[in-house]
Amino acid sequence: MSANSIPFPVEHRPQPVRRKPIVSNGVLGMVVFIFTEVMFFAGLISAHTIVRAQSAGGMWPPYGQPRLPVEETAINTAALLVSGIVLFLSWLAFRRDPSSARIPLLLSIVLGAFFVYAQGLEWVALLREGLTLQSSSYGGFFYLIVGTHALHAVGALLALGWAWHRLTQGRLTSSQLATVAAFWYFVVLVWPVLYVQVYL
Amino acid sequence: MSAFRLLAVVIVAIAALPATPDVAHACAMCFSGPEESRKAFFVTAAFLTLLPLGMVAGATAWLRGKAREAEAGEDPDHADSAAG
Repeated sequence: MSANSIPFPVEHRPQPVRRKPIVSNGVLGMVVFIFTEVMFFAGLISAHTIVRAQSAGGMWPPYGQPRLPVEETAINTAALLVSGIVLFLSWLAFRRDPSSARIPLLLSIVLGAFFVYAQGLEWVALLREGLTLQSSSYGGFFYLIVGTHALHAVGALLALGWAWHRLTQGRLTSSQLATVAAFWYFVVLVWPVLYVQVYL
Repeated sequence: MSAFRLLAVVIVAIAALPATPDVAHACAMCFSGPEESRKAFFVTAAFLTLLPLGMVAGATAWLRGKAREAEAGEDPDHADSAAG
């Protein structure tokens, strides 16, 4: 049957019901992206585990290599975790009243920026102590894993900054905030795993 | 060589594999080296196998829960989801 044979005009034909998406496109895309990133970090962790297990004499860190600052990084880790919690609080505040989410969102960004800054200081100190990308597989894995995470953290902070800018203009939607927040939660939640794997 | 003959050769070759002196291992590294190293290979192989399956299962459960919420009309979070 052709379209012309329907016995009533186009404007009176029944329209298909448009269903509301159960998850926004942004969040779904971010979830797929996070899956790929999880597998990327899983590959790095696996390679690190095997190289560590094969280290000469079972000695890790290898002889002559500086020890990583476990305690200082624990403080940075706490700041990052608190940043994730504050972002969740800002999400709750956004649902009640979007303007009330400004301060917690900004606080979350500041805590995240502190983490990145403190990690940068740690890198400078370790480079001065002789731990470089080429000094050993220990140094190579440290800078690769922690550096990759830092790149993700910087990217997520830029996204959070963009969200905060839109929030101050009153143009931020809940799905945009959820998309950006999902990326930051990934950065926050993958870090304790990396910390235990690399530092301890 | 006809397709039937090629298939027969492949089947015979596969059937003859157990007759080889050494057992063919898929992972050459998993069966040599110190205990610590072998354990690391097994653990990481299991980790990398199960992780994607777990993520897919988790995502499926999450989307199913969201679909149920939407059907029940209890999903106020995505009022502006078309903007996403």
